[in-house]
Amino acid sequence: MASAFMQPGFGEAPGYSFSQAPTVAASGAREHSFYPYTDNGGSTLGITGQDFAILAGDTRSTSGYNINTRYAPKVFRIGSDDESGAGGHIVLAVCGFAADGEALKERLDAMVKMYRYQHGKPMSVKACAQRLATILYQKRFFPYYVHAILGGLDEEGKGALYSYDPVGSYEREQCRAAGAAASLIMPFLDNQVNFKNQFVPGSGVGHFLEAREPLPLPRKDVEELVRDAFSSAVERHIEVGDGLQMMVITKDGVEEIYHPLKRD
Amino acid sequence: MNHFPQAWGRPRDDVYGAYNHSYLQMTGPKQHTQSPIVTGTSVLAIKFKDGVVIAADNLASYGSLARFTDVKRLRTFNDTTVVGFGGDVSDMQYLDRLLNSLDIEENYYPEGHRLNAQNLHTYLTKVMYKRRSDFNPLWNAILVAGLDGEEKPFLAYVDLLGTRYSSPSLATGFGAHLAQPVLREYVPDEKAAENLTQETAVEAIKKCMKVLFYRDARSLDKYSIAVITKEGVDLKEDEKLENQSWAFADRIRGYGAQVV
Amino acid sequence: MDSLVAQYSRPAFHNEGYSQEEQQELSQTMPGDISLKFALPPVAQPHAWLRAQTDDHANPSCPIKLAHGTTTLAFRFQGGIIVATDSRATAGDWIASQTVKKVIEINNCLLGTMAGGAADCQYWLAYLGMQCRLHELRHKRRITVAAASKILANLVYSYKGYGLSMGTMCAGVTPQEGPALYYIDSDGTRLAGNLFCVGSGQTFAYGVLDAEYKYDLSEEDALELGRRSILAATHRDAYSGGYINLYHVKEDGWVKHGFNDTNPIFWKTKLEKGEFSNVTSELV
Repeated sequence: MASAFMQPGFGEAPGYSFSQAPTVAASGAREHSFYPYTDNGGSTLGITGQDFAILAGDTRSTSGYNINTRYAPKVFRIGSDDESGAGGHIVLAVCGFAADGEALKERLDAMVKMYRYQHGKPMSVKACAQRLATILYQKRFFPYYVHAILGGLDEEGKGALYSYDPVGSYEREQCRAAGAAASLIMPFLDNQVNFKNQFVPGSGVGHFLEAREPLPLPRKDVEELVRDAFSSAVERHIEVGDGLQMMVITKDGVEEIYHPLKRD
Repeated sequence: MNHFPQAWGRPRDDVYGAYNHSYLQMTGPKQHTQSPIVTGTSVLAIKFKDGVVIAADNLASYGSLARFTDVKRLRTFNDTTVVGFGGDVSDMQYLDRLLNSLDIEENYYPEGHRLNAQNLHTYLTKVMYKRRSDFNPLWNAILVAGLDGEEKPFLAYVDLLGTRYSSPSLATGFGAHLAQPVLREYVPDEKAAENLTQETAVEAIKKCMKVLFYRDARSLDKYSIAVITKEGVDLKEDEKLENQSWAFADRIRGYGAQVV
Repeated sequence: MDSLVAQYSRPAFHNEGYSQEEQQELSQTMPGDISLKFALPPVAQPHAWLRAQTDDHANPSCPIKLAHGTTTLAFRFQGGIIVATDSRATAGDWIASQTVKKVIEINNCLLGTMAGGAADCQYWLAYLGMQCRLHELRHKRRITVAAASKILANLVYSYKGYGLSMGTMCAGVTPQEGPALYYIDSDGTRLAGNLFCVGSGQTFAYGVLDAEYKYDLSEEDALELGRRSILAATHRDAYSGGYINLYHVKEDGWVKHGFNDTNPIFWKTKLEKGEFSNVTSELV
């Protein structure tokens, strides 16, 4: 907790009408000593293309420095048959506290199935994304400790990807990495998917350089990017490794691909 | 509103009171029902080609006191599944009552579906997760060993937070540090478990129980071991560690001033 | 006899499952009552518990980091209302997103802005949009900005002490009020005014806006002033950045004036207008 006292401005801040440096309440007796969260590590990522979306996650589950298991999926089909996995058209990736993630997945799955039963048609990804935000916000005061990414195809058949914070603020994006290695993967994705800080060669010098326009990538390239992102994250993050689980959503359904990753 | 951007959008001390760190701290006064009192240590299990071997010692500790030395921490369910409990013993007994009643209820149905190990594990996960969400956890780490719907070996873990996972070999508590590396030598992946014989699996578990007894100060040399196969459960509750070798301790000369 | 026994004996176990009602809720396709059913942590002081988990200012190593940080501004002028925001969201030191839409389109005549907790703003402004539509259906005319902002203010006031964090502005033009602008925050404050800046970069935006603001600004100048104020804030406030989101609210609804990257705008402003002369343009 020492970090609470190492904030910029603490102790040297000019006096304002109320104190800016956070005061810390005495830690006396409290009703509960139970801490209901843990972090199971791992990372997830999603990228969309013209007519597909890919969600991926590593399969390691950790607690502290221990590896719980080498195969604990973080990417789930939503609204598909439990046994065969057929029929789903939406995929959810969750990382953070695995038990919360699984509870969230089961809620969303039940909800999407109920929708199909009540309306006689599959739920659109847009509607599902909105509902997921309200589900997360219902627990605003006792949050699900998860970073969720939802993927599918929109009404026009284009790849759709929505990313969430733990209490349900959400946004549609081209790509998103979440979890332990998000800070390693996201800058790579900014550069390779959205072409951030890339310029058109020979377009000029200095201020006259033209930024390269981002365009949707083909599926083969995206799969390669995902594999590269994870095999690189494995090299530099202890909570990532063991296996890479990829879900590719196209108009033909959801395809699952597994690649082994380094297990050290 | 103040002039420090970092504070913006965060709760203000003058409105909400001071930040209370103690919610994140694990030390400090505790309510007794909120932490385990009489506890069991590790549970170990490993899958082999026809089933699962699971073991736990017979000790229930009261802090550092070895208080009860004949507590059976492996419980059979439905004659087909074994549940191994680590953590609080009173919560284990509560769960045992719960599972007994579940078993009775299920057996009211004249014939038909009986809960297999996988079903039981899912049930336990729901119970544990609901309890943690109510801030009233059952303070246990549990291994469920048996066969799944396709009669394949099944082994999974669930704990007080509702966290669950499955692996060819599992160990709770201290065993996760000491025994799991040894067990993973035998079954690095599912494929290895499909080729492992029962004899080797039992031998691996016994070896790990010994390793744990050498170094886990809350362990005992009396233990229970169960082998679950299609034929049923073979549970032995009064095993004793054999062929102990304290040779590694030969040169340990204690601490501090003692040198000879 | 059985009842006597039951009276003095405790059940061997509780019902560990979910009640039928709870189960139904879990699979509901439509949120039952959008505003009222929130799960609370079962502790004596839920807000203190929640804050311990999520306040990354008081405790930078808190486990759950929510999206924060912003510059938003809105001002009234003769041609209507200009609304402008940046697009950065931060969680601790991590830039969670550079593409947040902080102007929320409540309906085609009413805009809300988003500062503070991103989820709080998104959820409650969506809720406000629903209430505005219901008002429209019940009364056969559009809701006034005053009424809409009051719905929001009363709503967040009823949750005071629970830890909501939002600083929002409602901007709209109605026949009854003309152009109207309100500031509402999660303390329950509701203020009408000509000009507001909200968020961690507010001071920088105020600096530019106050210096150049006149009610009689032309439409073109007003849009440029809004853009330039956000640019100043993204330049000096580390928690603001990304894109400039610009809107103009007129009598017959709002018009969007782009979602533009700050970086080229900055260099254009510097090189063509000679501003930001403290920054060198030499490229080594």
